[in-house]
Amino acid sequence: MSHVHDLAVIGGGVHGAAAALFAARGGMDVTLLERGPLCREASGVNAGTLTMQMTRVALIPYALKAHAMWASARDWLGHDVGVVVCDGLSLAFTQAEEELLTFRAGKRREAGAPIEIVTGARAKEIEPGLSGEVRVAGHCVVDGFANAYLTGLAYRRALLEAGVALREETPVSGVRRETDGFAVETADGIVRARRLVLAGGVWIEPMMAWLGIHLPIKTLINQLSVSERIAPVMRTVVGIANGLLSLKQYPHGTVVIGGGWQAVGDRERGGVELLPERLIGNARLACHAIPALKRARMARAWAGLEAETADALPAVGPVPGVPDAYVCGSVHSGYTSGPYIARLLADHILGRAPEMPLFPIDRLLAPGGAAVN
Amino acid sequence: MTEAKDVIVIGAGPAGANAALEAAGAGLDVALIDEQPAAGGQVWRAPWPGLERPPASNEAKAGDALRARLEASRVDRRFGRRVWSVTSGFRVDALGPDGNEPVTAPILIAATGAHERVIPFPGWTLPGVIGLAAATVLLKSHQVVPGARVVVAGSGPLLAAVAAGILKAGGHVVAIADIAGPADWLRAAPAMASRPALLAEGAGWTLKILAKRVPIHFRHAVAAAEGEGRVTRVRLKPVDSEGWAGSRKAVEIEADALCVGNGLVPGAELSKLFRAKHRYDRLRGGWIPETDAFGRTSVPALIAIGDGAGLSGAAPAELSGRLAGLAAAHDAGATDGAAFARLAHPLLTERARLAAFADASAGMMALRPAQVAGIAPETIICRCEDVTRAEIDAAFAAGARHVNQLKHFTRCGMGPCQGRMCGDVAAELLGQRVGSREAVGYWTGRPPLRPVGLDQLIGDFDYADIPIPKPAPL
Amino acid sequence: MMIRSVADARRPALVRFSVDGAPVEAPRGEPLATALAAAGHLGLRESPRLGGPRGAFCFMGVCQECAIHVDGVLRQACMTPVAEGMVVELRGVP
Repeated sequence: MSHVHDLAVIGGGVHGAAAALFAARGGMDVTLLERGPLCREASGVNAGTLTMQMTRVALIPYALKAHAMWASARDWLGHDVGVVVCDGLSLAFTQAEEELLTFRAGKRREAGAPIEIVTGARAKEIEPGLSGEVRVAGHCVVDGFANAYLTGLAYRRALLEAGVALREETPVSGVRRETDGFAVETADGIVRARRLVLAGGVWIEPMMAWLGIHLPIKTLINQLSVSERIAPVMRTVVGIANGLLSLKQYPHGTVVIGGGWQAVGDRERGGVELLPERLIGNARLACHAIPALKRARMARAWAGLEAETADALPAVGPVPGVPDAYVCGSVHSGYTSGPYIARLLADHILGRAPEMPLFPIDRLLAPGGAAVN
Repeated sequence: MTEAKDVIVIGAGPAGANAALEAAGAGLDVALIDEQPAAGGQVWRAPWPGLERPPASNEAKAGDALRARLEASRVDRRFGRRVWSVTSGFRVDALGPDGNEPVTAPILIAATGAHERVIPFPGWTLPGVIGLAAATVLLKSHQVVPGARVVVAGSGPLLAAVAAGILKAGGHVVAIADIAGPADWLRAAPAMASRPALLAEGAGWTLKILAKRVPIHFRHAVAAAEGEGRVTRVRLKPVDSEGWAGSRKAVEIEADALCVGNGLVPGAELSKLFRAKHRYDRLRGGWIPETDAFGRTSVPALIAIGDGAGLSGAAPAELSGRLAGLAAAHDAGATDGAAFARLAHPLLTERARLAAFADASAGMMALRPAQVAGIAPETIICRCEDVTRAEIDAAFAAGARHVNQLKHFTRCGMGPCQGRMCGDVAAELLGQRVGSREAVGYWTGRPPLRPVGLDQLIGDFDYADIPIPKPAPL
Repeated sequence: MMIRSVADARRPALVRFSVDGAPVEAPRGEPLATALAAAGHLGLRESPRLGGPRGAFCFMGVCQECAIHVDGVLRQACMTPVAEGMVVELRGVP
């Protein structure tokens, strides 16, 4: 009889990697299966923003805890993932944006995020590179960013040191229930585990189908672009009230422009095509917010896939009707909250009471529980 | 306002210009886009606008003739436009003097050419060290010699061309270093004899070099370029037939310019952008799209020709251009099958006749694995990001098995040259560890196809015009 | 330093431009990278990470080593024709 792990985690993004890491550190025999290299999908290509100002109200308490984890990553992960903690500004240029911003900042503040509304002049003191046309801004001191492409490098070492059986370049073709757990089917053979975590991001939907569950996951195709290394033009994380801009400058000088502008693609083919009008629109917002950017050049653009459930809240918890199976992902701003949310699930699996509630997916399934596929 | 055409050709070198002329000749509405101010590509590059020179070489005459044919044609010529985005359908976005210009067509012909491969050595980033192809631009198009005491080094036919060009312009070549030996050239001679005019040209270069008694160091590569702020000394090292450094003494030369090149790498930019099927072909220069005899790729209506789709040289590129233009005319319904076959036949035959010379030429320029294997660890590989060979080796040790992962681990290829200067060598270094070039792949093609100024990209706009979506859920 | 060859070529009239404040002359329309090299400016900038001296390398718009500030904006010198009154700063991107 082949070896049976305590836990198999399928999906090597930040959720899967963190869940595997904390489960292993809790004493479990863990294997992590990832069809490509670790953390190379959303977790490796997102804008790296660690902000409360674009995080959903319900997730603010989780994001605050996760922010502290990111800020201390060197201690618990062994690698700082290039994290920079700095102030964040969410800008309003119009009356409508000012109203939207004030309302939302208030709600987020109620949820615990230390966001205050400041005048455009005050915002310019905080961020000298800012446009002079800002009416008001949401200002938050708990903000910052990580360098997403370092995520895989960071988790890899930690996972190996924790004794996780790391199986990169190992696509999973299916999962079968067995008497004492699960048989995970790969091209290299069957991998067995008593428990299972599906942490596949946008691929959670096809993964859940292996278990006979229909959990629709929407796939967003986000465009991002980056400049070459330039002289310092900004020192905060900048967004716009309507959410279509995320902007930051890394210590090595590159400026990453994001904001969720949609490219062309799907879960099967990935981000296939970036749309020029949308690259231009995104760049216009960036240059409107930080005018000095006009002197820079766009060096590269790319796309990343982001998962979203029907109510845009996480899918984290036990899989209804399938004992010992769990799902972890589709968090919405999942990179920001990922390490904390994954640790909560690991706690739950280890038999400890998680510090904060999970997000059971019963609410997302057809009435009557698990739908047969 | 987006203009609609029947065919868009990107790249106005021998391949692209001929494709445009052929398609326009069949009655199609053709746009020909190039970022240079005039057609000719690299091999037939025009003097910069305002500079006059008599057409002294066959290449200059060929370039002038091509430009004249374009002038007299109905091809919609869009020069000085930098293409930065191409999307399906096809839509081509190019930045010109008046900002962004989108243009669409159902058929796209990619003729974007190749760029130089330089095998890194310590000091290759010093000012005064330039590529061999760069030297040809200076000589042909700028009428300038690179320095007062020039070393010319590397491999392939460009070596003699550059050395002779410098001599002809009244410059001083202090040494030539050729990785190849006389035996390599002799081996290639029979194939090269199939193009007597080119062979004569090469012989002419050789005679000029010999007449000036320029020291020629066969089987030598550049060991290092040295100097404070610019090159002042070049060290050459002997190498064997595969490119491994020998133990014989190095040669030291005082020089203020070093022109060095080790062949060309096909760009294949648009075929990679559209995720066409590619294969790795060492003789043709690297990763190239799989195409039929007319350049049709695995992506419908995307045709890829010229050196950008696999090294072949100027004359074959002209023929490939004409064949692609004919194919476009046929696929657009302007020519029937019988006429297409009849017109294509002599071109296919002629191109096949030129293949032996093209292969021999390409062979002299192909990547020599030993030369890459011998790169010292502290040598900068990625110029934009100062990534050394040691860092690439460390990335392999940390688990990188594909060039995309190498990029994430080291930033190699993330700079503004978009991996063009370092890509082939970085992939070879990783490929030698992993076991094959196929296994390590190539970098994902993405826009912008060249770095573009944000000021040019955004143009004039009103904040109110930028589309705003529904607010995200709170 | 690069040397303009005299034989057979006819160049437009010289124009004057400034390089880090100092005057330089070159034929109108000559590619700026060549004009700078002919004037003795081989080093154009420093590499962003390690600060090594860099100059134009490929002369065909590919290598980006010649990207310097021209009239306040970043431009590739090899693709920029020299014009009267041009203001050139040899400081690359940062």
